[in-house]
Amino acid sequence: MKKYRWQILAVLLVTFGVMLLASGCGGGGSADTVKVGVILPLTGDQAMFGTMEKNSFEMAYEELKAAGKTKVGDKEIQLLFEDDQGKQDVAKSATEKLVNQNKVAMLSGGYSSACSNVIAGSAQNMNMPFLVVTGSSDDITKSGWQYVFRGTAAPASKYTVSFWNMVDEGVVKLNNVALIVENTDFGKSSADGFRDDCAKRGINIVFDQSYEHGAIDFKPMLANMKSTNPDMIFAVSYVMDAAMIVKQMKELDFSTELFVGGGAGYTMPEFKDNSGDASEYIASTTLWVPNVAVPGAGEYFENYKNKYGKEPDYHGAQAYATMYVIADALSRANDFTSTEIQKALKETDVMTVMGPIKFEDWEGYTNQNKPNTYVVQWQKGELEVIWPEDVKSTDYVYPVPKWNER
Amino acid sequence: MTKRNLLMTIAFILVAVLIPVFIKAPYQMHILILVIIWAIIGTSWNLLGGYAGQVSFGHAAFFGVGAYAAGLLTFHYGISPWWGMLLGPVAAAVVSLPIGVICFRLRGPYFALAMLALGEIFRIVFLNIEAVTNGAKGILIMPEITSKMIYYYIALGALGLTLAVTYLIVNSKIGYYLVSIREDQDAATSLGIPTTLYKNLALIPSAFFTGLAGAFYTNYVAFIDPNIVFNLTNVSVMVILVVMLGGVATTWGPTVGAGIYILLGEVFRTTLGSANVLIFGVLVCVIILFVPNGIVGELSMLKQLVSRRKASVSGGI
Amino acid sequence: MELFGQTVICGILLGGMYSLIAIGMTLIMGVMKIINLAHGALVMVGMYVTYLCFTYLGIDPYIGMFIAMPVLFFIGCLIQKYMINRLVEVESILPENQVLLTVGIMLVLTEGIRVFFKSDYRSVITTYSSNTVFVGDMSINVAMLIGFFFAMLFTSLLHLFLTKTDLGKSIRATSQDRDAAVYMGVNSSKITMITFGIGSALAAAGGSLLLPLFYLFPDIGHLFTAKAFIITILGGMGSTMGAAIGGMILGIAESLGATYISMGYKDVVGLVIFILVLLFLPGGFRSLVKR
Repeated sequence: MKKYRWQILAVLLVTFGVMLLASGCGGGGSADTVKVGVILPLTGDQAMFGTMEKNSFEMAYEELKAAGKTKVGDKEIQLLFEDDQGKQDVAKSATEKLVNQNKVAMLSGGYSSACSNVIAGSAQNMNMPFLVVTGSSDDITKSGWQYVFRGTAAPASKYTVSFWNMVDEGVVKLNNVALIVENTDFGKSSADGFRDDCAKRGINIVFDQSYEHGAIDFKPMLANMKSTNPDMIFAVSYVMDAAMIVKQMKELDFSTELFVGGGAGYTMPEFKDNSGDASEYIASTTLWVPNVAVPGAGEYFENYKNKYGKEPDYHGAQAYATMYVIADALSRANDFTSTEIQKALKETDVMTVMGPIKFEDWEGYTNQNKPNTYVVQWQKGELEVIWPEDVKSTDYVYPVPKWNER
Repeated sequence: MTKRNLLMTIAFILVAVLIPVFIKAPYQMHILILVIIWAIIGTSWNLLGGYAGQVSFGHAAFFGVGAYAAGLLTFHYGISPWWGMLLGPVAAAVVSLPIGVICFRLRGPYFALAMLALGEIFRIVFLNIEAVTNGAKGILIMPEITSKMIYYYIALGALGLTLAVTYLIVNSKIGYYLVSIREDQDAATSLGIPTTLYKNLALIPSAFFTGLAGAFYTNYVAFIDPNIVFNLTNVSVMVILVVMLGGVATTWGPTVGAGIYILLGEVFRTTLGSANVLIFGVLVCVIILFVPNGIVGELSMLKQLVSRRKASVSGGI
Repeated sequence: MELFGQTVICGILLGGMYSLIAIGMTLIMGVMKIINLAHGALVMVGMYVTYLCFTYLGIDPYIGMFIAMPVLFFIGCLIQKYMINRLVEVESILPENQVLLTVGIMLVLTEGIRVFFKSDYRSVITTYSSNTVFVGDMSINVAMLIGFFFAMLFTSLLHLFLTKTDLGKSIRATSQDRDAAVYMGVNSSKITMITFGIGSALAAAGGSLLLPLFYLFPDIGHLFTAKAFIITILGGMGSTMGAAIGGMILGIAESLGATYISMGYKDVVGLVIFILVLLFLPGGFRSLVKR
């Protein structure tokens, strides 16, 4: 054992040295491609979403290629994926590598808010156009960064636009609401927006807590909430926490007139699978649903399901739509310098599976698409659009029947 | 310091100072800066964990406090986060005082786990006191400096300071006391060494320089949130990994370990796709099985073997 | 009052689940004095075995548990024999380099599972998963009750095993004084191997019992590792009964914290109790019983 130790170590070090050299030299690119760097979490605990987005990017790319749209000018678009492991310093490394080593023309990706923040900051510093896919922190497009664009994702505090429209139309009447959010950037930003909207309309928040994701037992919090008798619960949760919360509400026989999730977990197929019939009548705000009346949305959903054997949710659609935006912008750019691409992105006006995408400056946001939001509700195991009125796929159920009356 | 060691050190300093002259690519500079940040944390941890034998699972607490000291200056008062490079280490050192009082009543695994718990308490508290820390939304700063070279030299200076102070402490009377505490605390006490005092004398500089690394991190990465800087797995445990890979209780061990950790991680990440962490894990197992005292630790052991001296562990009795 | 009752019931049941995971760890820590950061990952692997049995063979998780336990026993033995024991024999400055090895093992297990199962969330839905019984107005989850029952059963069985059998006595002897045990003719490397195996099997049992009410993905192990440490120290290293009590105390403390302070601070309550116990009751709750 001891005898071989040093030989093995030497072999290891040599291998390592060779690999380092190899990765350092991988920089030079061929002249006939225009590279797009995509940074997503492919390992770590966000990998499920990162993988879904990577698949969607590739699917969109193949479709575009088949249609001859990946050829822009005399160059071919090439996607370079980098793993950020869900860690922000790795995201920074990936950004540095793509920009300085691979000489990409523009960046995309960004799943978590933290990583998107870091990529956006670095990209702005290096004057590199960056198109955010999912990162929803308000700050990303509120810092006045000219090179940072967000099309397919709404700022966290704007996910609820349609829902508030529903309230203002008098469909939903609220006096006392309870607010529970996960302790993340997205959760906290959503909560801030929700509180402001409540204050504007004179709605009382009778219960307001945050929790850390991954809890097994939400019952103490829910029992406590039950004693405050809210009309409605607004919750922002990660997928499986969402399922745990509604399951345990059912176990506690705790009914409210309405339960609205703030995107994220409540629209996922995993949510329905894990919570079973407790998911019935749970509503959620969302940016996209497969049966929304936007051309291509249903096809994307079916194609993805056939190809990867799994239902995508709005995260996948964001990535899919983003690829189309990129192809569109690059085809309009005069050349592939960052200023020209930035200009082309700024002039974007394209229809995608996420609806029309346009980068505008409004309410303090820069290069932010005005989001289309929907309110959806689980009915008979299907996710149905219930609001806005003109695109609904079925009628809303409100107030929701109590657990024991179903 | 022997003459040869002195020459080696000077050569190392020269190389480190001259690197930016030869490597201009920002990506490689970025990797080097990350290496230096981890080298600083590792060297600080090594003072407490390696020399004094007090294995801490909570260094993220000091790192996070340092990082937040810099971040909060900008966030609340609009003061440049560079002043955090002064405030951060001091804040971390101040925080370390009560921690020392609490944790040094415990030994071995109990100490390690108490530190783990304290690190987690810091994380959760920083997440929840939103009025002060902005909670999970984190703190985003817009860095004024874009040149990697400036960051590199600042980081290098911080590392030099850390290494120098650690070296002085270790080679003073305190250092010998610390090693004696590690090897046999009861014997040390019976010889009249005030063990708790000396452990604190190791903890305070250790916290100080970890805080310095934290403050620099805020300046460099420009975004922090409690789940990142107080992270148990990605900070507290990884610093132990860095030190143990490089060599426990050696001057250069943590720096070498940081180099291996960052470079390997980066090479694997960019070449192996989604299996990168798996391969990294396998490699950690292999390295620790074959070189249990870390690369630098085993080097001196080998030297001793070659010169046919008694094979004892470097820095030991 | 109803709220208080509900909180305490939740806490006790949750604590029962925690304690089963912690018993595996307390056994390993007691005998080998190492901090095993791979423990949560072992729980996760056990859960995947049970999950596979359920999905592909249709075996109920409570029966699948008895498949997962031997599988994990075997994995645990291999890890101990070919990795950790090998490191114990080498002279090193800090014995804590074993910790690093367990970090490596944790990474390999987590990412290895990810290669096979992707990062998808999975869950086992059984007919009884969300059945509840009501005592007054307080609801009790049936699956949690069964889990609690099994946890107590395993704790008692392990206690009997450690106190009544020769093998159990050798394990306790090694835990109290390894050198002395070796002089008495105990084959310490075999004992540590079996201990690690039993510890892993118990981790698998804990994971399997959670499966009907929880969910599963490769990184889930992190959730359990820190909890298991806390309980191990609360109960006193190496004490099975201590771990059972420690688990329940942690469960109740977290539930009370969640109800009366805030869900966000529930973990702080557990951690503060942990530090207080470390300071004022260094032997854990075991030392109270002995006095």
